[in-house]
Amino acid sequence: MESQQLVTIIPWTFIAQILNLFIQVYLIKRFLFKPINEVLKKRQEAADKDIQEAKKAKEAAEAVKTEYESSMSDARGEANRIIEDAKKDANLRAEELIKEAEQHASSIKAKAEEDIRLERKKALNEVKDEIGSIAMDIAGKVVEKEIHEDEHKALIDEFLQNVEEAS
Amino acid sequence: MNFDISGAKIFLKIPTGIPFLGDFLLSETLVVSWIVMAIITGLCIFLTRNLRVENISKRQAIAELIVESANNLVRSNTGGTKFDKMIPFVAALFGTSIVSNLISLTGLRSPTADLSTEAAWALTVYVIIIANKIKAGGVIGFLKGFTQPIPVMTPFNILSDVATPISMACRHFGNILSGVVISGLIYASLTIASSAVLGLIPGVVGDFLSNIPIFAVGLPAIVGFYFDWFSSAMQAFIFTMLTIMYIANAAEG
Repeated sequence: MESQQLVTIIPWTFIAQILNLFIQVYLIKRFLFKPINEVLKKRQEAADKDIQEAKKAKEAAEAVKTEYESSMSDARGEANRIIEDAKKDANLRAEELIKEAEQHASSIKAKAEEDIRLERKKALNEVKDEIGSIAMDIAGKVVEKEIHEDEHKALIDEFLQNVEEAS
Repeated sequence: MNFDISGAKIFLKIPTGIPFLGDFLLSETLVVSWIVMAIITGLCIFLTRNLRVENISKRQAIAELIVESANNLVRSNTGGTKFDKMIPFVAALFGTSIVSNLISLTGLRSPTADLSTEAAWALTVYVIIIANKIKAGGVIGFLKGFTQPIPVMTPFNILSDVATPISMACRHFGNILSGVVISGLIYASLTIASSAVLGLIPGVVGDFLSNIPIFAVGLPAIVGFYFDWFSSAMQAFIFTMLTIMYIANAAEG
């Protein structure tokens, strides 16, 4: 069989090889790069979609969390306010009670003092009368004579006046 | 025994009558090239069957690996996605080159052991380089580039430009041809040595043994490993890398 030379360029082979190269480029593009790149693109899109969804979910979760936190802090504030109010009420009430009690006590004390004063006056008057009559009796017995009642009365009053002043 | 190395066998001669181009030769080179193309295309079709987005098969993983490495190679060497259109071309060049080189393992003659093949590829690459240069700087910019840095350099610049495809073609062709020549030489010399040494044995035994190239077992396989596997892959890679580099450089202006 005939052979071509070892180192030579055959024009038709040269042209055919250029065409072969371009046919090969087309074939490799059509059967390898196009389908594989499509799949890679699809996978990329799927991954991107997943990431987007995850981001969205995260944002929603953040929103819920913020809402929860704000409502929690609201509730805490409310609770604090209620406790504060209750404390204030309680303090007010306690002060009122104490004041009332003090008033009551002082009124009782005043009444007691008044009573004591009246009792004392009454006792004093009684003593005064007693002493007067006793003095009349003693004087009558001592003098044994008829003394004009009016003179005696004046005399006794004077005496009693002296006694009162002395007491 | 005579040892001679000839070019690709010619199966059929079709006269075309066109001057300069001569006869169309249906040579071993072309037939094996078509086989190579069939192998690559068949492999592509096989690898991309039943493509799925999730839960991919091993075949698809390999196909994706090939595509991604081609993308990465081109993108990392050109800096960006500007040359994405070139990726299938680069991949086809590399694939054809490496399969053509490795097909010599099956006993077929590599299409790359014919200078026509490499010359065709190198010229194609050269045309793309020039097209990119013109695209980057315009026709005037392209022509002006030859006078840089000083006008005296013009002849040398033209020479170095023309040398690009020639060196690319000859480098690849030379490596593959040297492999063919050296492998053939070693094989032939060992056969001769075998028959000479074993022919010393007297009688029928010597005559019989001297016809079997016993010495040719072993060493050609080791040498073949270098030339068929290492050099093949290396040359395909070098040719592809040079293509990418030249085109990226050309586009930078």
